[in-house]
Amino acid sequence: MIRPNITRADKVLLSICIFLSFSSFALVKGMIPAGSEVRIEVDGRLKYTLPLNTDRTLEISGIIGKTTIEIKGGKVRIKEAPCTNKLCIHQGWVENGAVVCLPNKVIITVTRPSGNKVPDAVSG
Amino acid sequence: MLSADKNRIALLASYALALHGLETLIPAPLPWMRPGFSNIITLITLFFYGIKPALTVTLIRILLGSLFLGTFLGPGFFLSLSGGLAGTVSMWMAAALFPRLFSPLGISLIGAYFHNMAQLFIAYFLFVRRIEAILVVLPFLVVAGTLTGACNGYAAKYLIQGIQAAQQGKRAGGLEG
Repeated sequence: MIRPNITRADKVLLSICIFLSFSSFALVKGMIPAGSEVRIEVDGRLKYTLPLNTDRTLEISGIIGKTTIEIKGGKVRIKEAPCTNKLCIHQGWVENGAVVCLPNKVIITVTRPSGNKVPDAVSG
Repeated sequence: MLSADKNRIALLASYALALHGLETLIPAPLPWMRPGFSNIITLITLFFYGIKPALTVTLIRILLGSLFLGTFLGPGFFLSLSGGLAGTVSMWMAAALFPRLFSPLGISLIGAYFHNMAQLFIAYFLFVRRIEAILVVLPFLVVAGTLTGACNGYAAKYLIQGIQAAQQGKRAGGLEG
């Protein structure tokens, strides 16, 4: 059963949604760890692990073509991509988190160096 | 099911399909961020006919829509399918679990959020597999869910009220296709 007119529950729900819209950016920003290592994955396989503090530009081959990645001043961006929507390019410079190019299956993540990580458990 | 009902469901599915195609023409800040106008039709179908016809309309819309737009079995298709199913089922659950609590506005908001979260979930398992990438996109999807959920909810509310007024005016029974 759905009511035809706006109810109080609707207004409460809408308020919660608006509150979540504003707070989610700050919330998520706190959850993403600041990184210093750039990991570049193509089609699910790790291709490069590069330091974020060394400036360089590199071209990598993805599924549909070449993606140009630029690291500069502690930030990373996708400079050129073969896809049609150029989403990854529009995202611009990234300090932490990730840049994803789905059509070319290129995923760039900025993480902490894996050497600093302590394993949860070691077997055998 | 009466054949008149079948005709109406076919008609609703074609409305949803038309809206689905139309909204691809609207420039969006991000290509997968779409207003989801066809959810208005899903909501109306759910309101007047229940869950089965609403699911039928959603499935027809997604299958034919992807065939027409050339995205059938592509990544966008699976995102669309998971989102569409999660949205429809969640709206029905909200209406069934909390009867008479929400109007189309609340139901639409619930549907929009579940739609977006299901897509994110599927995107994580099928394509991305990196929690950082998902976290970056999450706030944008929350904002998009609020905006599209509210707009489509209001649109569905006024359409449902219009249809009910037309039905009462005709007495003999229902809106004519």
